[in-house]
Amino acid sequence: MGDDHAGRVLETIREFANIGAGSAATALSSLLDLELMNEVTACSILPLANVTDWLGGPEQVVAGSYTQLCGDLKSGILVILPEHSAKTLLEHLTKEEVDFSNLTNIQRSALKEVGNICLCWYLIAVSKMVNIDMIPSPPDATVDLLGAVLDMPLATLGAKVDTVLAVHTCFKGIDREFEGYFLMLPEESTLRLILDRMGEPKG
Amino acid sequence: MTELRAVGIGQIIIVRAPEPLACIGLGSCVAVIMYDPVTKLGGIVHVLLPKAPTNNPDNPEKYADTGTKKLLQEMLTRGARKERIIAKLVGGAQMFPGMNLYVKDIGKANCAEVWRVLHELRVKVVAEDIEGSRGRSAFLDTNTGRVTIKSAFADKRII
Repeated sequence: MGDDHAGRVLETIREFANIGAGSAATALSSLLDLELMNEVTACSILPLANVTDWLGGPEQVVAGSYTQLCGDLKSGILVILPEHSAKTLLEHLTKEEVDFSNLTNIQRSALKEVGNICLCWYLIAVSKMVNIDMIPSPPDATVDLLGAVLDMPLATLGAKVDTVLAVHTCFKGIDREFEGYFLMLPEESTLRLILDRMGEPKG
Repeated sequence: MTELRAVGIGQIIIVRAPEPLACIGLGSCVAVIMYDPVTKLGGIVHVLLPKAPTNNPDNPEKYADTGTKKLLQEMLTRGARKERIIAKLVGGAQMFPGMNLYVKDIGKANCAEVWRVLHELRVKVVAEDIEGSRGRSAFLDTNTGRVTIKSAFADKRII
């Protein structure tokens, strides 16, 4: 793959992820009654072992919702919120104090539901754009160390490859401190299909 | 003080006392920790998946079977003796139990494979903190062989 071609591939994927994340952020915005702004999507092709460092290190505590596409397209998709943002979100939704070391069932369920909504809106937008049906598995959510949260998505890819394309779209609250990101980890065949549908010549 | 070295996914690092060694943010991955109390050599392999696709994969450190074998081999090359080596296991959690209908429990499979290989290699497993649904970080003190385990919302444990 030449540098020019690699650059175009990343550009195309960036556009794809921007559309998805934009749609998900709009949904999250209305759910939270909070204005959110999407930052530019960052893509990087990197060894499995470096993914968590690229995202800021494996030791951070985050809330992560995860779904896996299981139709023609195969990809892990996650919504990751740093601890303080997840707390803001839960307190807003449940109107009660949140103790992260001891989440109640309702709080866990709310976290899952928010992940579910975001991930679905992400998929609806990108699926329309490339005209491919995408089937997500029911998502699950957890609050833990980032390294631990990413193990399963990385293991799913790691069975086939050592290098992954990680696509990261950050969102931030405009007038309130709130941030997080979407992370897409597509399989190689999926990447080719997306590029094909988006008119990128295969080189 | 020396900087704390952390073993990433699919890596092996071996150090000698007093240098400490860590493995941060283990979910379904397993840290196989080996320690020789006489030479005070400590080594960790951070495995992602249970079984290597072939006997001779490009990156044996990524898999429980080939990674565990390679760690032992490298410990021996560095001067550790097999009859003295003790092993401790950390990790192998199921981070998203709600997905267990269509995604297998990789953490459990990783642990089972490490156990099988260590048994075959006749390396003693003296302690473990595995499975469940919590992430863990492991810190090896090469002066004593003790491993401190930290989780996001639990008290420290020492094994």
